[in-house]
Amino acid sequence: MPDLHIADPAPAMTTASQQTSPTGKALSIVGLHKTYGSAVAVDSASMEIAAGEFVTFLGPSGSGKTTTLMMVAGFVEPDSGTVTVGGRDVTRLAPQKRGFGFVFQQYLLFPHMTVGENLAFPLQLRGVPKAEIRTRVHEALEMAGMGGFAGRRPRELSGGQQQRVALCRALIYRPPVILMDEPLGALDKKLRDQLQVEIKAIQRELGLTVIYVTHDQEEALVLSDRIAVMRDGGIDQFDTPRELFERPRTPFVADFLGAANFLPGRVMKGDDDATLVRIDHGGLLTARPHSLSPGQQVQAAVQPGRLRVCAPEQGFCTGTVETVTYVGTLVRTGVRIAEDTPLLRLEVPAGRAPAPPPRVGLTADAEDINVFPAERDG
Amino acid sequence: MAGSLVRPATPVRPHSAPKPRRPRGLRHRLVGTRRARIGLLNASPIVLYLLVLFVFPILGTLLLSLKSNDGALTLHWYAEALSGANLSVLITTLRISAETSLLSLAVGFVLANALSRLRPIWAGLVMLIVVVPHFISALVRTYGWIILLGDHGLANQSLTGLKVPGAPFRMLYNETGVVIGTTAVMLPYTVLLLYGVMRGVDRRLLAAAASMGAGRVRIFARIYLPLVAPGLASAGLLSFILCLGYYITPALMGGTKQTMVASLINDQVMKQDQWNGAAAQGVVLLLITFAGLLLLKTARSIGAGARKRSTS
Repeated sequence: MPDLHIADPAPAMTTASQQTSPTGKALSIVGLHKTYGSAVAVDSASMEIAAGEFVTFLGPSGSGKTTTLMMVAGFVEPDSGTVTVGGRDVTRLAPQKRGFGFVFQQYLLFPHMTVGENLAFPLQLRGVPKAEIRTRVHEALEMAGMGGFAGRRPRELSGGQQQRVALCRALIYRPPVILMDEPLGALDKKLRDQLQVEIKAIQRELGLTVIYVTHDQEEALVLSDRIAVMRDGGIDQFDTPRELFERPRTPFVADFLGAANFLPGRVMKGDDDATLVRIDHGGLLTARPHSLSPGQQVQAAVQPGRLRVCAPEQGFCTGTVETVTYVGTLVRTGVRIAEDTPLLRLEVPAGRAPAPPPRVGLTADAEDINVFPAERDG
Repeated sequence: MAGSLVRPATPVRPHSAPKPRRPRGLRHRLVGTRRARIGLLNASPIVLYLLVLFVFPILGTLLLSLKSNDGALTLHWYAEALSGANLSVLITTLRISAETSLLSLAVGFVLANALSRLRPIWAGLVMLIVVVPHFISALVRTYGWIILLGDHGLANQSLTGLKVPGAPFRMLYNETGVVIGTTAVMLPYTVLLLYGVMRGVDRRLLAAAASMGAGRVRIFARIYLPLVAPGLASAGLLSFILCLGYYITPALMGGTKQTMVASLINDQVMKQDQWNGAAAQGVVLLLITFAGLLLLKTARSIGAGARKRSTS
């Protein structure tokens, strides 16, 4: 029983609506640029983060998300660009002068101090009176559901407990911005889910400005107000989870967040209402309006959950069902539409999946199909 | 505990609790199990080796130190070892050892700290420079120091050249010379020990402290120093103990006032044929070494205990 003391997130959730002004401050990044030798780690990243906002840098490893975070924190010096917090330029300040909170993946609790001493340390640095330190440490541990752990050593705690303490230690001095570098990366799935809920609840309740780094899109979707999807040092799209999902701006975003299917084709007609695309291995499909000219080579992207099976003559293409996998409440179906193309993936609720005939038609609502110019492959 | 509250349906099996075991004796633990017997068999060569070459000589020394000239048991030699000129030699030995261990700790700390920040390949090279002199005969090294530190040696020539007030200094045949010489001998041990401890300190902890607003001084005092403190204590004690029985350098680089116990023992055996007194002095050194180790151990457990109390 490693984790008996799990905080109940419910009370924090209820107070979220009563929150008046956020404790966090607004942060803006303008043209942050970093190269290592000839490799561009971060390519002129810019964004405005509102006070009390939860922003996630999401991307595969090597996408520059951690380097960007380290530049915001001050551990890495940018080649150019500025970081401004609450109107103050902090670009050239040392990390200890910025006053941010930082939560690391490896917890990094001080092993020679108890849990209580770990939490008291940043307060002592700020000259907080002893009595106040004691009450604030106590409050913080209660909030994390770890009251009674003050006298323990970090090594006596489980990973989840250690990360809770590390989180408390970053919150306790009420920093204007809290940075988290894959804080849940070392924990197992169940614990991760639990802590995600807790982190989100605390962030909402206190109105914290949080920048969070992860490569796990599900985690990003659960936590964030907005997500910056990063690739090769650049920000592909910085938007709310819903927008990223519904209106991905690049094939990469459509693939990384929605695991989209891509259908190559050519634009037939495009206007303000819809785009008409003739796909290479099928017929005509109607997609969202995009500013594309007729004749242009494109990729039409549809998420597996939005693709439907229909009668062969009704769909925009036909194919043969090759795989059927039950995944809990969903059935994953793989459909082959042509010899040398990848399988198209469908997700259908398990209850209403009739055994499909081997030859099926595929269709989707125009709203759910995005079209991208074909120069990049997703 | 909470788990059992929400699962009342689970039947509590009384026999699942571990049975109270009959306490077994020391004899059983030592030779009762097959594992223990095989262990003993494997250890027997080294046990035999230690018995013959280590335990027997020490017991012999102990016996010698307790025997009077006519063969009866006596504490006479200890009384002699701990009084008069012998006592002052012992005190000098302790003082020089303490000075040496402090100096080698200070120099070793700076060196090891710099080393631990280097890239491993450079650290390896510098470490070689620190350790290689140790492979050279202590006698040769000591003569090297004598040449360097003499009244007209390189050190004093440089100092007078730089017009340092008071130069040339007297750095040979006094305590300064002995401490410089023995420190040079002890340094590789201190550096190796401290380097290992410092390499083991997770640098990201220091970054974490910086992210919370701690400056260099606070990070050093509150995080770094406490983390390397056990290493400092071990290294200090090691050089102290090694220095207690050290012979060549103090004998060659010190004057008559810097006679150390090891020289005294040598004199008694070689010049005065006084084995019993020498044995007693050896045993005294051994006891001081044990006391030092014990001190370190209790200091650690008291430290751990104090930390525990202050937080609960």
